[in-house]
Amino acid sequence: MTTAIIGSIGRYSIHDGPGIRTTLFFKGCPLSCLWCHNPEFQEHYPEISFNKKSCIGCGDCAAACPVDAITVESIARIDLSLCTYCMACIEVCPSKALQKVGVEYHLDELMEILLRDQNYYLTSGGGVTLSGGEPTSQMDFSLELTLSLHKKKIHTAIETCGFFNWNDKARQLFETLDLIYFDVKRVDSKEHIRCTGQDNSLIIENLQRLTGLYKEKLIVSIPIIPTYTATTTNLRQIAELLEETGVTRARLLPYHPFGLHSQMITRKPASQPQLPDKPMNHKELRQWQNLLEGYSFEVIN
Amino acid sequence: MTLLNLPDYSLENYTLASLPRLAELRTLSLNSKPAICIERARYITRFLRKHDKPDDAPEVRQARAVHYFLRHKSVQFFDKNLLAGSTTSKPLGAPLFPEFFALYLWPELDSVSTREKNPMTLTTAEADELNFEIFPFWMDRNVIELARTRFGNPRCLQLFENLSFFLAGKAGCISHAVPLYKPMLEQGLEGLIQIAQTRKNQLAADNNPETKQQQDFYAAIQIALEGIIIYAEHLAEEAENLAEISDQPEIKNHFEMIAKVCRHVPAKPARSFREAVNAIWICQVGIHAENINMAMSPGRLDQILWPYYQQDIAKGELTVAEAIEILGCLWLKLSDNVTMVPEASEEMFGGAGTVPAVTLGGVDKEGRDCVNDLTYIMLRVTELLKTRDPNVNARYHYEVNSHQYCRRVSDVIINTRAVPAFFNDVKNIEALMGQGETLEHARDYAIIGCVELASSGRDYPASSSIMLNLVACMEMAMYQGKRPITEEEQIGPVTASPSQISSFEGFWEIFKNQTRWLIDQAVQLNEMFGTIHQQMMPSPLLSAFFEGPMEKGRDLIQGGAVYNSSGATHIGFANVVDSLNAIEEVVFNEKKYTLEELFTAVRNNFSGSDGEKMRVYLQNRAPKYGTEHPIARKNARNLTRFLFQTYQSYTNYRGGKYRPAYWTMTNHAGLGAISSALPDGRRANELLASGITPVSGAAPELTTCLNAVAELGGTEIPGCWALNMKYTPEEDTDAMGKRFAQTVEAYFRSGGQQVQFNLMTYEMLLDAKKHPEKYPELMVRVSGYSAYFKHLNEHMKDELIHRTQYNLTNGHAVDFPE
Repeated sequence: MTTAIIGSIGRYSIHDGPGIRTTLFFKGCPLSCLWCHNPEFQEHYPEISFNKKSCIGCGDCAAACPVDAITVESIARIDLSLCTYCMACIEVCPSKALQKVGVEYHLDELMEILLRDQNYYLTSGGGVTLSGGEPTSQMDFSLELTLSLHKKKIHTAIETCGFFNWNDKARQLFETLDLIYFDVKRVDSKEHIRCTGQDNSLIIENLQRLTGLYKEKLIVSIPIIPTYTATTTNLRQIAELLEETGVTRARLLPYHPFGLHSQMITRKPASQPQLPDKPMNHKELRQWQNLLEGYSFEVIN
Repeated sequence: MTLLNLPDYSLENYTLASLPRLAELRTLSLNSKPAICIERARYITRFLRKHDKPDDAPEVRQARAVHYFLRHKSVQFFDKNLLAGSTTSKPLGAPLFPEFFALYLWPELDSVSTREKNPMTLTTAEADELNFEIFPFWMDRNVIELARTRFGNPRCLQLFENLSFFLAGKAGCISHAVPLYKPMLEQGLEGLIQIAQTRKNQLAADNNPETKQQQDFYAAIQIALEGIIIYAEHLAEEAENLAEISDQPEIKNHFEMIAKVCRHVPAKPARSFREAVNAIWICQVGIHAENINMAMSPGRLDQILWPYYQQDIAKGELTVAEAIEILGCLWLKLSDNVTMVPEASEEMFGGAGTVPAVTLGGVDKEGRDCVNDLTYIMLRVTELLKTRDPNVNARYHYEVNSHQYCRRVSDVIINTRAVPAFFNDVKNIEALMGQGETLEHARDYAIIGCVELASSGRDYPASSSIMLNLVACMEMAMYQGKRPITEEEQIGPVTASPSQISSFEGFWEIFKNQTRWLIDQAVQLNEMFGTIHQQMMPSPLLSAFFEGPMEKGRDLIQGGAVYNSSGATHIGFANVVDSLNAIEEVVFNEKKYTLEELFTAVRNNFSGSDGEKMRVYLQNRAPKYGTEHPIARKNARNLTRFLFQTYQSYTNYRGGKYRPAYWTMTNHAGLGAISSALPDGRRANELLASGITPVSGAAPELTTCLNAVAELGGTEIPGCWALNMKYTPEEDTDAMGKRFAQTVEAYFRSGGQQVQFNLMTYEMLLDAKKHPEKYPELMVRVSGYSAYFKHLNEHMKDELIHRTQYNLTNGHAVDFPE
């Protein structure tokens, strides 16, 4: 049976589609955006998060570690160059300061969890959103899940970075979904590579394809990241691309410093992209939104 | 006229600025200081001393005493309230019921006026009268002493007097009822007296000596109701005098109107909305001449008053503004009294009002949507006044009532930050039908006091008969029938020591043994008190406002009502479920610690670094009620089921069943302060969770919390519950209101019976504790009722501060500030 690695299940989420929803954060993403809001979901394998505030410095984790990767002074420190992700430390941590991020689920297990909030979907016109990470990176599972939810008459949405191979499964997935949020970040391909680690031609190709097929249920998401995507040139280029493609609706995702406060213990060197420590305010967002007025698509909230 | 005619259901154009009378009365009410009123104690005592006839049946004696008091009760007009009648002789009065706890005031007569927490004014003359004339008479006549003498100071009475095992409500009151005012409004008290007389005559004609008790009861009803009529006449006389002596036309007119009303009702059928409202209020005052002022609940006022409102509006004799004003006056009258709380009881009950519950909305007896204009008017009155009492409750049937109604109730909660509470018609009707009530009767339920359910005027549910401390049961299970607080004394049965317990099921059986034993003690005492009440405190006056007594010729206390249950509520539910979870998962599944290790650490309050490590593990890693962990779900369900089955196996002295419930008033804070540590990782003396609410911090996600509670709803909790939720206020109240209503509906669809809210942040409540002067009117939901934050004791303030605060923007608990 198909399984998926899920980074987190966000119950009662209200920003990922209509109504009250459950958002599934798939683990693993083909892009590695410098400003990533959910860096804990970039890698495909389960990782470890550490909440310093909860650690009581008891040392049980160090004692449990088979490769001596953990030292404890007042609180625990893990040397990731030694860590094998056996998760023995997590098993013993009394305070849950150490937690595993990324759990393997069978489809029926996950469906059972998603159905628990069915009454909230019903009363609010909500449903389930596949997000991440990148749901299409676990395409087989995403498809089966979407079909199962559809059978239960539950509204489904996806938040995708657009970087996936088009095939029968992809077609069936997007056919079944009720709502598609499709990210467009940079139009200039060199800049796209610099900011996300990948070329954007596949993304633009998929955008054109999906707009052609499912214009009425597709909304383009534009992350507004100071100095990275939020430049006059880039936003004008995006607007032109959307107009050419025939996109009808777009929404802006204002910058939030979630990524800076991630508790993930990661192997990657900490990127220093000079991002602000505060979420973007309404006024600034409004300025960028003004730039997108007068085009053939609508900017929605 | 259809049920809904208002152009704008929020009635936002009606404000306190446009209703100066209400604005003034509200300010007076919020600033009034409670005073003890000794009138009732004086006249009841005087009657029994001088006029009692030893041969009178208990019902007749009580009726004559109440009649005597009502005849002598002083008539007071304190302010510009449109309604005549007052519970006591003081603007905000605490009447004394020497039959019950009043004697606890004896040692405090000198200090009650000046004590630090919630002082109550008492003049020297009044204190002397209590000291020399009233209290000595009652020394061996109050309910507790009568029970002690009659039953030889039984074990169960001693356990109750320890105060940490269970509380026996009947030592302080029965009250807790929803009288039916409709027949009184339609026939007048004279009509009811006539019915009683006719029935008495019929029985007398039969010449059957076996009907003497019934005949006495019918006589008692008449004597008691005549007392109310006399009181109303006195009100009319005084109003006429005041009109007479005033040379200001406005005041003259005010008192002439009042006199006109009181000359007519409640003796005769009400002719107008105002008469109907004042008739209800005078009868409510009358009921308190007989029954202690605790949770005497007027019920479904939007339904009872609807015909009078509709008729006056149609005739053009009433405007919406006038209806708001009259109802506002009623709301303020309903809050004109408090209960006398001795200093020693402040920890348990401090800050509570008397919790007269008003019930709005829902469905009618036929199952139809019965939300009407008055429902919305009463919501607006509640929103404008923001007073502690009455305790306003909104019924909601998600398949029948409109979303607009659910949304409007949600908006009022957001705007008042606290009221009304929400009740689920689907599950509560199911719960009452599970108790053998007919569908029609169950649909006509109203809320009593905090959260309990009663078919209006048909249930006499003595809903606060037992308040059982589940933590005591857990401790006795852990320590072979002993408790840390009572040290070496053997309390419950001697059960197995931890080393002899080899499975969770084994421990669960022991826990059930101890709980059954304690419930049995509590039931025994309730039965004893019941028989004392039958002799000493029948309620012929209250019986006149019920369906059943008039037909059967039997007082409520003798089982005269249609339904005759007793209520038992529970303190520490969530902590005990979590303790069971910890024992099952950490000891028997994970085998992380042995049962002996666990209990030893708990007994030592988790001292030492190993103890603290264990505590942190138990707190963070053991399954918690309020999450969807299967063990937590199973244990919560098993506990409510076990309690339900245990109580239902008893039949009370009135022939009804015991109904379990989960509301705690402020007892969870008071009992927490004297309870030892628990296996759930709670340290000694820390707060217990309130009502059926999960332990603070144990349920980090909103929907899992609501789902875990909701799935317990239905037939096994016939006494209902209090679920306390705290939400972060949002700037965009419109967007929040929408989500709020959707969330309540989803919780109800999942089975939730009740929910109540505080819209406050940790920071705001911390600040209110530190700077009470900045929050003079801050009203909070406690556990089934509202209180002013400043009046609560420190434990209870802390409990409100620490309740989990959820964000409705992401469904997560907010981190407690460092």
